[in-house]
Amino acid sequence: MSSLTKLISTLARVSDTKLALLNHSNVQIISSAKMSQYPKYFIDPTFRNDELNALYETGEVKEKALVPCRAALTEHTSSEFYSSFTRKFINHVMRKGNKQLAREVVEKAFEVIKKTQIQKYHSLPPEKKVDFTIRDPHELFHQAVINVKPIMVLTPIKRGGVRYQVPVPVDDLQATILAYKWFIEASKDKERTVRFYNKLAKEIMDAANNTGRVVKKKLDLHKQCEANRAYAHYRWN
Amino acid sequence: MATTMLHKHRVSVLFSFGRSLYRRINVSQGEFGLQQKCSAYSRPINTLSASEAVAEIKNMPDESRPMPAKKPISKAMKAYLLQAKNYDEFMKKQNTEFQIGRRHLANIMSMDADTMTQEDIDQAIEFLFPSGLYEPRARPMMKSPELIFPPKKAAEFDESGRPYHSLFYTMNPNFYGLLQEAVTEYVNLNKEEDNMIRKRISFNSDMKIILSGSDWLSQEKLSNLLIEQIDDAQYEQFKNVMLRLAEHPLSNKVKDFIMKYRYSLVNEAALAEIPKPSYEKDGRAYVTFKGARRKNAYADVTVHMPGTGKFLINDCDIEYFQDIQSREQVIC
Repeated sequence: MSSLTKLISTLARVSDTKLALLNHSNVQIISSAKMSQYPKYFIDPTFRNDELNALYETGEVKEKALVPCRAALTEHTSSEFYSSFTRKFINHVMRKGNKQLAREVVEKAFEVIKKTQIQKYHSLPPEKKVDFTIRDPHELFHQAVINVKPIMVLTPIKRGGVRYQVPVPVDDLQATILAYKWFIEASKDKERTVRFYNKLAKEIMDAANNTGRVVKKKLDLHKQCEANRAYAHYRWN
Repeated sequence: MATTMLHKHRVSVLFSFGRSLYRRINVSQGEFGLQQKCSAYSRPINTLSASEAVAEIKNMPDESRPMPAKKPISKAMKAYLLQAKNYDEFMKKQNTEFQIGRRHLANIMSMDADTMTQEDIDQAIEFLFPSGLYEPRARPMMKSPELIFPPKKAAEFDESGRPYHSLFYTMNPNFYGLLQEAVTEYVNLNKEEDNMIRKRISFNSDMKIILSGSDWLSQEKLSNLLIEQIDDAQYEQFKNVMLRLAEHPLSNKVKDFIMKYRYSLVNEAALAEIPKPSYEKDGRAYVTFKGARRKNAYADVTVHMPGTGKFLINDCDIEYFQDIQSREQVIC
């Protein structure tokens, strides 16, 4: 009897995360950190044609059909012009729920980027045209965000009645959100006659080249983190 | 001449030695006690003949198997029996009330009482007592008492207080019994696996259970099944143990055992009722769905088969929607 009870306890000591993965081995686990009207086990919908075809090919569709699914948002389309990365940025640009305006503005900025890139391309001599590959504004924006994302930030931590600015690592999602915020701030800071989308286009192109105002902001932040290196241990104690 | 008859009475002998000797002769304690209390003069002296005394001593019970004294039923046992009796009476009463209620309801709704199902009863109650409450369990219901009142376990211990289940003192014998069963199965599967390896038999993926399409019973359902309250830690333990068993390469052999604690998931899309098409004069089939909703908007949609691919929204093109996102929602 005692050996059996020992076996029970050993069986029960298998790690929870491994078992959770085993439990839903073929089904994607959504992040449980969200506050949502849905219970945690609801999966995200698959709305892109290529993803759906892949599911049908592997046969995973049968399993996914049995798991309850969240409703697709109105942004979720199988359109040619859909970009999940840009969609998030449009949401951050949006003010007072004016999605139409936010989308217009960002798309205009991309139009400006595209025109500029084409101009650059045609002004190059033929040998250099082969190297000039990135002309898609979505790709360029993606590259710009990667260049602008900070690795660490300063957080105020109170020790002995004094607030110190302590360098702290920042996770990917928070870094991306910061990058979006900086782009929007930089684009707003302009003369009255300059259009937002023009400024935004300029900022994105500069950032993709690792130059410009927004990248400078990130570098300044990193410098400050280096300067406050001495307070790094305040993060724990 | 008056002769005194020696009556063959029992001897209540006053012993001066060995208290154990008192018990050898069948003198009831009560009598002896009385003897001690009352004065010797008030009681007649009972006598036994010598042969009788010897016979008694021979027939005395063996020291090696002392006679168990008759214990009265413990208070716990008494309370339990009373509770069980009360529960049975209560359920009987509820059942009779339910049956009478059924007949009355059938009478009211002019249905046949014998062929009335629980679904019919639910519909009737919903009609007679409409409720605006959101929680279904708060609404008026009429169900058989077995479904409403939680089931209770049968007698867990006998009259002497000795429990039937070997794990009774774990307080959750059914639960821990289940875990032990799972582990026993696991050990057996291990032995079989060893045998197969020894005999060089290859393993197939068919030998492992497929868990897709089903999920573990919820904590509540498991508690109801085992008639025991199962807390979160115990539920986690249950899932861990069962999953470990299901992970075994030969787990298909214990499929029945595992599937007892799983419910099959349902593809809700497959359950949806497909409306039947109507037909136009030229033979084209069409289906109209009325009241498709999204927030405060609603639409009546008609789909023709075979179709041309064109569509009209309030007699307008796609340009009915000015927003690009709305247009994308229609097409993509």
